[in-house]
Amino acid sequence: MEDRFSQQLKKGVLEMLVLKLVCEEPTYGYRLLARLKERSLGRFSLKEGTLYPILYRLEDEGFIAARWSQGQGRTAPKKMYEATEAGREENLRYQLAWREFTECVEEFLKGDGGR
Amino acid sequence: MNGKDRNMEAYIRSVRRRLNLPKAVKDRVISDFISSIEARREAGMSEEAILAELGSPRKAAAELNDQMKEFAFRKSPWRFACLALAVLSGGWLALYRYTIWLGGQLVGVISYHARGSSVGVIGGADGPTAVFVTSQSGVDWDVLLMLLLLAAGVLGYLLLRRCPPKTEE
Repeated sequence: MEDRFSQQLKKGVLEMLVLKLVCEEPTYGYRLLARLKERSLGRFSLKEGTLYPILYRLEDEGFIAARWSQGQGRTAPKKMYEATEAGREENLRYQLAWREFTECVEEFLKGDGGR
Repeated sequence: MNGKDRNMEAYIRSVRRRLNLPKAVKDRVISDFISSIEARREAGMSEEAILAELGSPRKAAAELNDQMKEFAFRKSPWRFACLALAVLSGGWLALYRYTIWLGGQLVGVISYHARGSSVGVIGGADGPTAVFVTSQSGVDWDVLLMLLLLAAGVLGYLLLRRCPPKTEE
């Protein structure tokens, strides 16, 4: 079990990471989880249930949209998420906000000799 | 459709039943849940492995409920007002009937003890008769009003336990 502080940090950035992944390519829940896990070297390994509220918040705000993919051959249709135009803009805003934030925190931590 | 598909469908229905969410949110969650199962199947997992990973319907639903709290039913604080209304009107009704009954008993006792003396004016009234007489004497508006309030209170209390979640926080 991780400590509460790390959990809160993760929770905060998850929305940004999920939006970024959906912006990269239309995708579905299971693949998002796999991508998150592999690109964070296992640090962001979550369950589907954790992902749903994030996806629904993004969808309700109009940043991503859900559609049913056509099943090909033996595969059944799946619910796919893709970024909207507003979502792509938001993705850039998130990243800008994140960089400003981390720079500020870094500067803060450097003060007083990094103790 | 083969037996395994039916098995999975029963599993999904079972999870759905246990979700404490408004219908529209349930639909949303279940459509993603089904997609997750389908994605695992395409990744080459067997039914058994998928079910083992997702856990029992109770466990899977509990996890989903836990994560979906912000979309869950909300209990309105107004339900307490409705409960109070129901208790008050119900109490009034109970007291009203009881008073009539008690009054009848009392009158009977008094008349019994007073029999033969000069005070024995009120005779013959006993509990059941008194109640019978009241309920026969046309529409009792007080009782009707209280019954309506009782019904409204109970209904309000039950309905307000399952309010749709707030859309904006």
